Amino acid sequence: MATAYTPTVTGTGIKAHIQRLGGYLAGMVMPNIGAFIAWGLITALFIPTGWLPDKQFAALVDPIITLLLPVLIGYTGGRMVHGQRGAVVGAVATVGVVVGAKIPMFLGAMILGPLAAYVLKKVDEFTADRTKSGFEMLVDNFTAGIIGGALAVFGVWGVAPIVRQVTSAAGNGVEWLIHHHLLPFASVLIEPAKVLFLNNAVNHGVLGPLGVAEAVNHGKSILFMLESNPGPGLGVLLAYLLFGPKALRPSVPAAIVIQFLGGIHEIYFPYVLMKPRLILASIAGGAAGIGTFMITGAGLVATPSPGSIFAYAAETPKGGWFGVFAGVIVAAAVSFAVGSALLGFGRLAESESEAVEETAEDGSAVVNEEPAPESTAGDVERPAARPEPQEA
Amino acid sequence: MNGKDVKKLIVACDAGMGSSVMLASQLRKELRKSAVTVEHTPVNSIPGDADVVVCHAGLGARAKASAPDTPIITFQVFLGDPAVTRLVNAIKNGSEINA
Repeated sequence: MATAYTPTVTGTGIKAHIQRLGGYLAGMVMPNIGAFIAWGLITALFIPTGWLPDKQFAALVDPIITLLLPVLIGYTGGRMVHGQRGAVVGAVATVGVVVGAKIPMFLGAMILGPLAAYVLKKVDEFTADRTKSGFEMLVDNFTAGIIGGALAVFGVWGVAPIVRQVTSAAGNGVEWLIHHHLLPFASVLIEPAKVLFLNNAVNHGVLGPLGVAEAVNHGKSILFMLESNPGPGLGVLLAYLLFGPKALRPSVPAAIVIQFLGGIHEIYFPYVLMKPRLILASIAGGAAGIGTFMITGAGLVATPSPGSIFAYAAETPKGGWFGVFAGVIVAAAVSFAVGSALLGFGRLAESESEAVEETAEDGSAVVNEEPAPESTAGDVERPAARPEPQEA
Repeated sequence: MNGKDVKKLIVACDAGMGSSVMLASQLRKELRKSAVTVEHTPVNSIPGDADVVVCHAGLGARAKASAPDTPIITFQVFLGDPAVTRLVNAIKNGSEINA
């Protein structure tokens, strides 16, 4: 059915590099999302403006955000570099950037955790051949202890002040965007990055940490919703359901359930990549959604992950339902409207579905080789695009 | 390579937590009768003993960098992609996997 057109990543491509770097950042955060959600729920429930204000339980909020979450990130980052030993020194070193910090030190944890593990890895390589038999445990434990301790001191002295500057500068930049009502334009970058599988990198690597810093001060943040809004994807899929190529329509209802209710946004990326002009629909939907969030002063208490409407509902602070749901609905409506227009309200479906079927023979699977040569992909796209010059 | 030689099938995605879990559970159901282990991992850490890797075409280059010696099947859509269907059939019937 859908061999149509997907831009492929090439081995040396910048995109693959960015994806990989973003993958590391997101990879430190994503395994710990459960802890973020626990923090978000505790905050929403027990802070003075929450559902069930309680001083005793509210004492949980600060240690989790300033200590536990950065240490988990540093631990995970260390583990990615050097297994369990890397994880341990990563966690120890992260405490160095955490102590004395008034803001959550996610960025510092993302730097220092893997760095400490890397140093230990190099030292392990050095000592491995030089350690006398029977002294392995002694050497291993003390190299890890010394390196972890040293990097924690280095964190307090050298890294924390720098990270504090960078984090507050980034925070100020976001404040500036919000203050000048420019935040909706973030969609111009976010939506294309998303469908190129940079969604986790953008959300968990960049927006999430900034959002947490904001949520600590204001009890909620709009930044959690910039990338994770399920509205734009829903709009694109609905447009496909009604006006897309006929061969693709039967697969769309299941995709909608998985995307909107299950929160796995990846499911709609191929639908955009097949008809790249639909990125305009998701940009328009995303921007409209962010605009609505801004006007209504909406925010969430923690990262909604996965970006499902249920996660949105669970992490909406008290009294915030209207803005949150309005933003999702507006985003879906706008991206549906733009997407439908870009699909010619179904008028083009006949000619396009033929084009799609014609190409269905030459499958998309390539074993151990770069997928579908660009040249054929280009040939497929052109006849489909020809009948609709008015849309260019 | 032949479908009956596949003992371990890895579905990879960016984080190894979202779309790959979904596709892996689908494939596990479809391949329940075959002696194939279906697992999901982040695309950066595909295990060395994988016989075949399934991932989205957009992540193909990273899968190749992560597992250079393993056959990689890339697909375009998450539901009912012909490449994935062919792989499942090849494993079930013990026929050649070579699209």
